[in-house]
Amino acid sequence: MESGENGHDDADLDDVRRALAALRDEVHARLAGRAASGAAPAWEDLFERARRSLSTLGMVERSGEVDEFGMDEVVLQRASRVFDFLMDTWWRVETTGLDTNAPPLPSLFVANASGLLPWDGIMIAHAVARARRDAQRPRFLVADWLMTLPFVQPRLARVGGVRACRENAERLLRSGRSVISFPEGVKGSTKSFRERYRLKRFGRGGAVRTALHMGVPLVPVAVIGAEETQPVLFRMTSVARLAGLPFVPVTPTFPWLGPLGLLPLPARWHLRFGAPLDLGALDPAAADDELVIARLTEDLRERLQAMLHEGLREREGIFA
Amino acid sequence: MVSEAVVDAPSCIAITGLDTFAGKRLALRLLARPRPPVIVGLDLRRPWRLEGRIRFHRVDLTSPDAGSRLAELLVRERADAVVHAAFRRDPTPDVDYDHELETIGSLHVLNACAAAKVSRLVWLSSSMLYGPRPDNPNFLSESHPLRGHPDAHGVRNRVEAEGLVESWRRRHPDAGVTVLRSCWAMGPTYDDRVVRHFASPVVPTLLGYDPLLQFVHEEDLLDVIERAVLEGHPGVYNVVGRGVLPLSTLLSLAGKRSLPLAPALFYRIGRWNAERVTGDPPAAFYDYLRWLWVADGERGWDAFGEPAYSTREAWISFVSSRRMRRYR
Repeated sequence: MESGENGHDDADLDDVRRALAALRDEVHARLAGRAASGAAPAWEDLFERARRSLSTLGMVERSGEVDEFGMDEVVLQRASRVFDFLMDTWWRVETTGLDTNAPPLPSLFVANASGLLPWDGIMIAHAVARARRDAQRPRFLVADWLMTLPFVQPRLARVGGVRACRENAERLLRSGRSVISFPEGVKGSTKSFRERYRLKRFGRGGAVRTALHMGVPLVPVAVIGAEETQPVLFRMTSVARLAGLPFVPVTPTFPWLGPLGLLPLPARWHLRFGAPLDLGALDPAAADDELVIARLTEDLRERLQAMLHEGLREREGIFA
Repeated sequence: MVSEAVVDAPSCIAITGLDTFAGKRLALRLLARPRPPVIVGLDLRRPWRLEGRIRFHRVDLTSPDAGSRLAELLVRERADAVVHAAFRRDPTPDVDYDHELETIGSLHVLNACAAAKVSRLVWLSSSMLYGPRPDNPNFLSESHPLRGHPDAHGVRNRVEAEGLVESWRRRHPDAGVTVLRSCWAMGPTYDDRVVRHFASPVVPTLLGYDPLLQFVHEEDLLDVIERAVLEGHPGVYNVVGRGVLPLSTLLSLAGKRSLPLAPALFYRIGRWNAERVTGDPPAAFYDYLRWLWVADGERGWDAFGEPAYSTREAWISFVSSRRMRRYR
């Protein structure tokens, strides 16, 4: 070795200096590059934005955190503005029964299904959330076929939709969150315009069973007006099978106006919250008695049907 | 870390599939204990790091006499606990061999355990066995049926193997059997197909789908395995981290780009390449990025304690370790 101890150190130091200088130059160059790219051609910017919105499904602004069912507070907050508009301006939703006989939360809300998209669930959840800011936002159950639809499913989950199944409902109720269910199921949301406001069979009594099992009250909610927002004239099943949907609805506006035809009509809505049906007096063991379940389910269906009839009688007009 | 004083800890632990991530790391952890148990390692290859510190026997689980040879070894070494980790890390194109090793090999191990009257058996399984299904509830409990995936042969083999364990457990009620169903593991050193999928800067995803995913950190997983073998927790447990995150959030946390592919097209085009690499069509893996298959970890957390890392922390631990790797 030619160089002594000191010489060796100097050489090392020089190396370090040179490396640092190179690093500094690179940082400067990159910063300059970034500044220059601010004035990059607009199409590049446009492409990047399109790519981002495609990969985030249009939910560019969101928090880094979701709750266990995939609800995102930031997405919800932004969506709330749209929900407010729909509630106050578009559908002019009138709510009764939320303040007079306020249901204890958590409860299991049971409503008539209307239309393909779960606007009814969103509106009920929004109405309850606005009236009861102290409690956790209720979550609405969504039929299977909608919860498996690409693009639709993640969006619904971010604003509080949950796949309709007993495990999910019980988990939500156990953690103190109310649940909005539509026991008619797919049969309810696909009924045609002629059958509107006539309740179908309430599944196999899952709603009553869940309420009994979890010890929460059942609150019937009559949604009046929603069944006119997307009137289904008839259903196309052959085309639908190709696309993997249960059916394709034919409404006055869809598919004639394209995606625009999916826009719900501005009928006037009325949400009537009924008196809570407390099953607390019943033995929880009744949750295993099929006959009791069937009778309670039929009771609930009749009560909701009566509420619907009453609401329809009092209504002055579909849009008025 | 598992506390030092464990009553009723086994004095000799046999590990099948020693040369796997879980086998090797578990052996090292057990050897680092103040009074280490005797460790009998069983595999085709001896991991060099464990040279001379364990009693290694070369056993081929795909050979027809593996059962009797294994039984003989377990009796001779007086093993009182067996950890079965001899599963493929990733599915391979050799579908028949995978089946011989994972299902028939499991059968041999169970037969040997019965013959040697092993009192404790820890079975490494996966929450992938529940299967990604559009009709899954958001959280799958341990009692949910294992529906697997029709295309994924590795998952199919292990569903079959779990069926064998279940019937074995019923026939041998005095043996404590722990089945650990862990979700995808993440961490600085763990490596498998899932990790490699997420390691690239551009991650293929499915257009229109954004499932909730969960991870468990590798150290939390090893903690649970160690506790299961030392303390004995008979039963079936999901081993997962707390919390769930959408795939899109995971990728943006990591600063990765997603490459959304239309499933209908991609499942057709990607078929040839996927079958060459894994022996399965793309759906076997990508359906796990399409539908829900989140497991409910409550029971496992009650039995084995709170995991140190949440899903987000496990993911960040993986991402940050990969970032540093580029500068090595």
